[in-house]
Amino acid sequence: MNIELIINAFLVTLMLGIAMSLLRTRSVIFTVILTSAYSLIAALMFITLDAVDVAFTEAAVGAGISTILFLAAMAYLPREEEKRINSQLIPALSCIVLGAILIWCSFDLPEIGLASSPIHLHLAPDYIIGSKNDIGIPNVVTSILASYRGYDTFGEVIVIFTAGIAVLTLLQNVKKDKKKIKKKVIKNV
Amino acid sequence: MITSAMGIWNYWIVFILMMIGLFIVIGRKNLLKKIVGLTIFQTSVFLLYITLGKITGGTAPILTENSSTIYSNPLPHVLILTAIVVGVATTALALALVVRINSIYGSIEEDDISAHDLIDYHDQNNTLKKSILQNSK
Repeated sequence: MNIELIINAFLVTLMLGIAMSLLRTRSVIFTVILTSAYSLIAALMFITLDAVDVAFTEAAVGAGISTILFLAAMAYLPREEEKRINSQLIPALSCIVLGAILIWCSFDLPEIGLASSPIHLHLAPDYIIGSKNDIGIPNVVTSILASYRGYDTFGEVIVIFTAGIAVLTLLQNVKKDKKKIKKKVIKNV
Repeated sequence: MITSAMGIWNYWIVFILMMIGLFIVIGRKNLLKKIVGLTIFQTSVFLLYITLGKITGGTAPILTENSSTIYSNPLPHVLILTAIVVGVATTALALALVVRINSIYGSIEEDDISAHDLIDYHDQNNTLKKSILQNSK
């Protein structure tokens, strides 16, 4: 019996509990803090699944920076989600059907941790050998990220740059908006 | 038997988490809640990828002197590293859009926004009619 699997199963069940309470709450600050906790437990899971680089990125970026972004946005937004009576039958039904199909398909997925599953046979061994011989960096993830898939990472930087410009241009006019709206109303009258 | 059940348990919970995220995105009318739903969906997809890359008895893919060490698959880790950072960029953009929507419409509930749009549409039609009438005179 594998102890790692038990820890994984426990942590993933904890995440399910957090997601359930996210479904119920209507307070915005509670939602933000729960999302942060969700990311942190995901980071713990990444450590037990041997993905240390992903774990510290998730802890710093997912649990840290995005929580700060949510809190900063909260300053401009209403504090409570409004309670409305609307039918959630169709969304719930479609999610349940899609989830059932996915779970049905999961019987075809390889068991967790099996070394002979197809994903481990192709490409990954080449990278592990090549990292030592061609590039000389002991951390395989770094050598793939910065060398084998360097253009991909470059594209990622462009995406972040574009997003940063878009955020700045969107937020530039927030204070002017209210004056504009007043003018518009006077014009229409 | 129990081990194989554990082997599939993770996948099942990850799929349920994905569906909870999807439900929050399409079922809730609050725009901020929708972004939170997207974040949850995203993190569960990351978990699925990382789970697929795990090898029992393996360690993190950092090379050691010992040649008999088993390493977990590094490729999903790299893909997810990129996805996490891009995900935070899209979250920031979405939040900026929501803040802007709130400053113009005064609400982030979907019903209010579409009601506001309807009123605006009728107002525009009325002013258009008035200006046409004035021009014809």
